[in-house]
Amino acid sequence: METVNIVLCGLGGQGILFMTKVLARAALDQGLDIMGAETHGMAQRGGSVVSHLRFGHVESSLVRSGTARFLLALDADEAYRNLPFLSENGRLYVNALEPGFPVPEVQRYLDSRRAVCRAFPAEKTAAVLGAPMSANLALLGFYSAFEDSPVSTDAIEKTIRDVSPERFREINLAVFRSGFERGRRMGAGLAGR
Amino acid sequence: MQEEIFLGNGAVALGLLEAGCQVVTSYPGTPSSEILPEVIRRIKSEGLDTYVEWSVNEKVALDTAFAAAISGKRAACCMKQVGLNVAADSLMSAAYLGTTGALVIISCDDPGPHSSQTEQDTRLMARLAKVPVLDPSNPEEARDMAGLALDLSEEFKVPVILRPAIRVCHARQSLPPRPLSKNRRKAVFEKNPSRWAATPKFRLILHRELNEKLKSIASRFEGLTAHNFHDLAPGKRYPLGIIAGGVPYSVVRDILSGEKREDIPLLKIGTPYPFPEGLAREFTGACEKVLVLEETDTVIEYFLRDREKVLGRLSGDVPAQGELVPEVVYGVINTVLASLRLPLLHDAPDREALELVNGLDLPVRKPTLCPGCPHRAAFFAIRKAAPGAIFSSDIGCYTLGINLGGVDTCLDMGASITMASGFYHAFSQDKTAQPVVATIGDSTFYHSGMTGLLNAVYNDARFVLVILDNSVTAMTGMQPTPGLGIRADGSRGKSVSLERAVSGCGVDFIEVADPYDIKAMTRVVKRALDHAGDPEGGVAVVIARHPCVIAYREAAIPSRKTVTVTDDCVECNLCLERFECPALYRDAALGRTAVNQTLCTGCGVCIAVCPKGAIVEARE
Repeated sequence: METVNIVLCGLGGQGILFMTKVLARAALDQGLDIMGAETHGMAQRGGSVVSHLRFGHVESSLVRSGTARFLLALDADEAYRNLPFLSENGRLYVNALEPGFPVPEVQRYLDSRRAVCRAFPAEKTAAVLGAPMSANLALLGFYSAFEDSPVSTDAIEKTIRDVSPERFREINLAVFRSGFERGRRMGAGLAGR
Repeated sequence: MQEEIFLGNGAVALGLLEAGCQVVTSYPGTPSSEILPEVIRRIKSEGLDTYVEWSVNEKVALDTAFAAAISGKRAACCMKQVGLNVAADSLMSAAYLGTTGALVIISCDDPGPHSSQTEQDTRLMARLAKVPVLDPSNPEEARDMAGLALDLSEEFKVPVILRPAIRVCHARQSLPPRPLSKNRRKAVFEKNPSRWAATPKFRLILHRELNEKLKSIASRFEGLTAHNFHDLAPGKRYPLGIIAGGVPYSVVRDILSGEKREDIPLLKIGTPYPFPEGLAREFTGACEKVLVLEETDTVIEYFLRDREKVLGRLSGDVPAQGELVPEVVYGVINTVLASLRLPLLHDAPDREALELVNGLDLPVRKPTLCPGCPHRAAFFAIRKAAPGAIFSSDIGCYTLGINLGGVDTCLDMGASITMASGFYHAFSQDKTAQPVVATIGDSTFYHSGMTGLLNAVYNDARFVLVILDNSVTAMTGMQPTPGLGIRADGSRGKSVSLERAVSGCGVDFIEVADPYDIKAMTRVVKRALDHAGDPEGGVAVVIARHPCVIAYREAAIPSRKTVTVTDDCVECNLCLERFECPALYRDAALGRTAVNQTLCTGCGVCIAVCPKGAIVEARE
């Protein structure tokens, strides 16, 4: 299959590594070859964190700028910072409030590259369920709701069930499903327009 | 069993255990820290009896593994590249002495650097020590090379270095399962003092032996087609070829494959030392020019004899510092192609995006200490007690005390103490009373603080040493410390008391304080300064003891306080600038400081920080 590049970004402590792990494992269960790169060490202490994930037969773990089909961002500023990764026709999924994101010049850039931005308040969605630190799973659910995700909602949900510690399992799944519902409704809305 | 996703470090661990490695030692350090934990996970799940330990430093780790390797065992030690500096004394000598079993030194490089004080290239250390080095390009190859390194070491009786760089260590890749190997080889040590305790006269003989071994290994490497190979078409000549090793190889391979550039042949060097010269000669012979892409220094480039053909760092065609990420490699190749008037790679349209992003004026995200971190409280108290001091510090989370104005220097492991001595003597020579307060973590103190402290006491240096004791090696992923008395595999070891270690170094002033109590901590540091300044005094040690808030949340904050900010806040910003807790922020709408309750750990330390008393515990 054609290589699919994904870049996941946010701030240290937001669970970028966990989100990457879940997505990678779900993709593996679907039979995809996995390669990826992570940030560890000092940068994890509140700094910018970026994770690269590649599905397909590749040698290098790094995504080259301009070649990521998907950019998943847990923070609006980090979404902007990692914009150069996004490919032509790419999809940006971001934890942000819809009016206000993106700023007009970024919207113009996305339009010029026929890229689509899908923003939703993942942190709020998670907070409503009492798990404000689980915005990562809400964003994953949201992402998986759209038809262009190479990894299915079922595969991700199964992975979350498998890898979550017992005491967080139900809440993690609830947050994921809540994000998925938001995405499904948005997807249906776009289709109906 | 089905495929699993492995971190590169996990793949290294797997490779070691598949090859029957019996002893694995390590000191944690990014990007190497995950190797030993994965070894432990596997030996537990597979019921292996591999001996594992977190050693107190890298030299200890190497010496321990070396002793096993001259007792016929298969042994490995793991560290980061600057850790190999600490173990360099052992490495150089071990190369001469050789092994009877196997010794693999895994030294993980950090081009970038992402989490290190230098970008040094372990391959140069291998060259200096005259030991073979293997340079994997991805986790899959790192796994294979870990086993190969053990085999080579045992066959040629020489230590072998495996150097995965950070993009291998922290890459994730799906890999097929293979059985681990139970190795029941018994320890046998045959006494031979003229070898194992060789005097200089015998060292000359050992040096000659080592040179002979290297010749044999070099000829082996010529035919090692799994890791050294090229894609030249027979008889064809090329205007440009590329030679690459390690991570840059995988980057170049993807670029050339993606662009379908079969007109540019690629030579991969998986064994940069001893260098497979014949293979390189064959390759350079077929090319008018060769571009060398390697991280982070020049090793392959030095070994290529036909300098006129070579484009690389020495010719100024490749950046002499920084990581060779895909964008950089792309740019280098295109510049070379342009200068040779060859067809260019298709340029990705990323410049527009970069300019756009630069124009957005995004906040710089510098790493900070975690909310509730006891180091933050300690630094605040230290600055309050000793505002005019020089603050020498060390390697660990607390290096981030730089944001709080509590860190003036950071040289290497243990240098907070030795540099404090140096500062004291430099100023006292001029009869200048310059207070110095050194900070070091508990793990770093055990690693290489004690020798320096003993030296400071012996040579009558005067300073305050604050040991930030959070009972864990936090920055590298929460490994246990000798003070805790928990060993690498979770079993009980003997707890080594900091107080007794400090006392054993000859220190008379030792006080323990809880940094969460800023006022008490400040008083203790002031008393320590008095002791250091007293003609009859000496080095004063304060142990700032509070558990790491990430590793031991319950113990660190037994009762959570709900913190809020009242209208007494005058926006002096002292808490934001000098205390810098991520949970405190300026709320523009309220026109004052506010608390982000999601990030706040409820430690309540900031209550004592506000000069106006505006940070308070909320009433029920």
